Amino acid sequence: MASLEPPAVVTPPSSKPNLLPLPSHTIITPSAAALAAVAPTTSSSSPATPSVATPLPTPSDSELVHIPSYSRWFSVDGISECEIRCLPEFFHSRSPSRNPKAYKYIRDSIIKQFRRNPSSKITFTEVRKTLAADVISIRRVFDFLDAWGLINYSPAALSKPLKWEEKDSKTSQHAADSPAGPSSDSTPPARETTKWLCGSCKSVCSIACFASDKCDLTLCARCFVRGNYRVGLSSSDFRRVEISDEMKTDWTEKETLQLLEAVMHYGDDWKKVAQHVGGRSEKDCITHFIKLPMGEKLAGSSEFGSGMNKLNQMKDDNSSNSSSSGKRLCLSPLADASNPIMAQAAFLSALAGTAVAEAAAQAAVTAVSKVGHGEAKAHIRSVHGVQGLQDASITSNGSDMLKSSEDARSGVNPMPEEKVNVEEELRTVAEVQMKHIQEKIIRFEEIDSQVEKEWKQMEQMRDILFYDQLNLLKHERSIRKTGQQAAEGTRTG
Amino acid sequence: MKPLPSTSSKTPVKFRMPTSENLVPIRLDIEVDGQRFKDAFTWNLSDPDSEVSVFAKRTQKDLKLPLAFATQIAQSIQTQLTEFRSYQGQEMLTGEKIVPIKLDLRVNHTLIKDQFLWDFNNFDSDPEEFAKTFCNDLGIEDPEVGPAVAFAIREQLYEIAIQSVATARESRNAKKGRRGEYSSISSRSTGAALDLMKLFSNRYSVVRKRKEWDVYEPMVDILSNEEVNALESMEERKPR
Repeated sequence: MASLEPPAVVTPPSSKPNLLPLPSHTIITPSAAALAAVAPTTSSSSPATPSVATPLPTPSDSELVHIPSYSRWFSVDGISECEIRCLPEFFHSRSPSRNPKAYKYIRDSIIKQFRRNPSSKITFTEVRKTLAADVISIRRVFDFLDAWGLINYSPAALSKPLKWEEKDSKTSQHAADSPAGPSSDSTPPARETTKWLCGSCKSVCSIACFASDKCDLTLCARCFVRGNYRVGLSSSDFRRVEISDEMKTDWTEKETLQLLEAVMHYGDDWKKVAQHVGGRSEKDCITHFIKLPMGEKLAGSSEFGSGMNKLNQMKDDNSSNSSSSGKRLCLSPLADASNPIMAQAAFLSALAGTAVAEAAAQAAVTAVSKVGHGEAKAHIRSVHGVQGLQDASITSNGSDMLKSSEDARSGVNPMPEEKVNVEEELRTVAEVQMKHIQEKIIRFEEIDSQVEKEWKQMEQMRDILFYDQLNLLKHERSIRKTGQQAAEGTRTG
Repeated sequence: MKPLPSTSSKTPVKFRMPTSENLVPIRLDIEVDGQRFKDAFTWNLSDPDSEVSVFAKRTQKDLKLPLAFATQIAQSIQTQLTEFRSYQGQEMLTGEKIVPIKLDLRVNHTLIKDQFLWDFNNFDSDPEEFAKTFCNDLGIEDPEVGPAVAFAIREQLYEIAIQSVATARESRNAKKGRRGEYSSISSRSTGAALDLMKLFSNRYSVVRKRKEWDVYEPMVDILSNEEVNALESMEERKPR
């Protein structure tokens, strides 16, 4: 069950999905090869084999099928480990109907069906009507493919016409009286204007709305909560878009600049920031600041990288690595990060200040690592703690350096001298770290030998004590004897 | 291929679908507020019952049906499943059973008429495979035909299985111990026979008589829209 590597087509390390071309008449690559039962044509095959009699429509209009980069393992010709892992029931041969062949049949048919019309979403019910297999197997495979973006993953997916209406004349299902279903004809809302229309209830979104990039859908809060979205989506596909502030007054460039200045100067003192900006409440400032689109202005890098890029920019502006306000600024872009835990951590560390946060992290790490050790090391920890703080400041520098150097290397802001500087400093930091570690090791060894000595002493003491005890006992006995003898002597005498 | 049991061993077998997978044919015909929803599919018994409601919800969402449908669909599926399960503990007589399967269905624009013999005793049989081959051989383009054919076959097999359970029960009740006789009676009553030649009362050859060729030949017809509409309206009128 080999999985073929996808072709090296357009592989920038970006968040954009990988593009796998459907068979055009010139390039036919294995993984995108005709989903029809055509003999797999590798890229080495002569292009003279013209559009092989594929049941796929018009190979001349080679449509691009988008699949996300995390689904790169997929290939039509085989079953990859990922599939075996996610759908084990097909592969452990415990039930006769669930076997790899059936799985492949279901999977290929679903994908074929979807790719026949990749711009529209395919529903589970459509698929299961056309497959001769039990519906639950079909559903599992469908969900799997959906989750991995191998079907229904088209960022520019327009709404498809209601299958319900189409089927009216064909099958014995009768059309619903109210054909215009909820989320079917959602026109992608104009993002440039500040009006957000909910895709399902057609009301203007006021407070907050939920946008899904996956299928270009916007729902108002109520519809989102009610779960009024399509089959392929789940609640995690939506991101929250706050509207209230922005709707009321848009932030002009000047105001944004003022805001940034103010934050740089006053850091966390939002009162002063609000004063400086003029005309905005504290809350407004904070919310707008968090929402500042830091990364999108810069070309295609990931959110995290863009956050770090902002870090770099800020550094250049401040030109002082350890200015706490700069650092606080730098950490807040992380709040945009999609991971809520990261956002939380970033926020807390921004509040607490870098040094303290680093020290806390250090201490936590050391505590966790030392859980198994004995109590002899307890006092080491305290010693360590002091050292830790020192380390923390250096590591924070180092990590910042690392990030900025990483970022510099990613080529977003190419500045050669800075790069060289940064690399040198990185080197020194690494050396310092090494020294620290070595010293720690030495100290550990010393303490170790000390402990051994003490232990030996204790042993000796114990022996002495034992010896004393024996002596005492002997004395006691001899005294008692003499006493007895004396008593007897007086009695007889 | 599993060796078929000889005619002499007519030990009753536990009820199950006589196919390689124990899939249950489920037919839905639900009417809510004047909207009718008809559907047919196969269900794997080994799936947990929680799947029923999930599937019902999914179907309702996909087809944009009103919410009431979801519960109805789930209920209908459940009842059919429990019915199937109630048969499961019981026994059915199989013996040697060749049953005729008739296909007479219309799927979208395709009309199919066919008849063939199916070995009920072959528990390795696979209606899905048959349907796939059927569609491939006849060049049927509509992908919904295959599952419909498989479903029709399954349904009929299910009916026959239920019948054989009933006859097994009868024979047990009669309880004369002369099993051979009763199974032959039961098989005669369901139309199959111990002997192909006997079944077709053709003493001279195993080849089918010429006049029966048409019956056993598959017929596929592609209808036009008007014909489809006409047929649909007729169908609606019939059961109502």
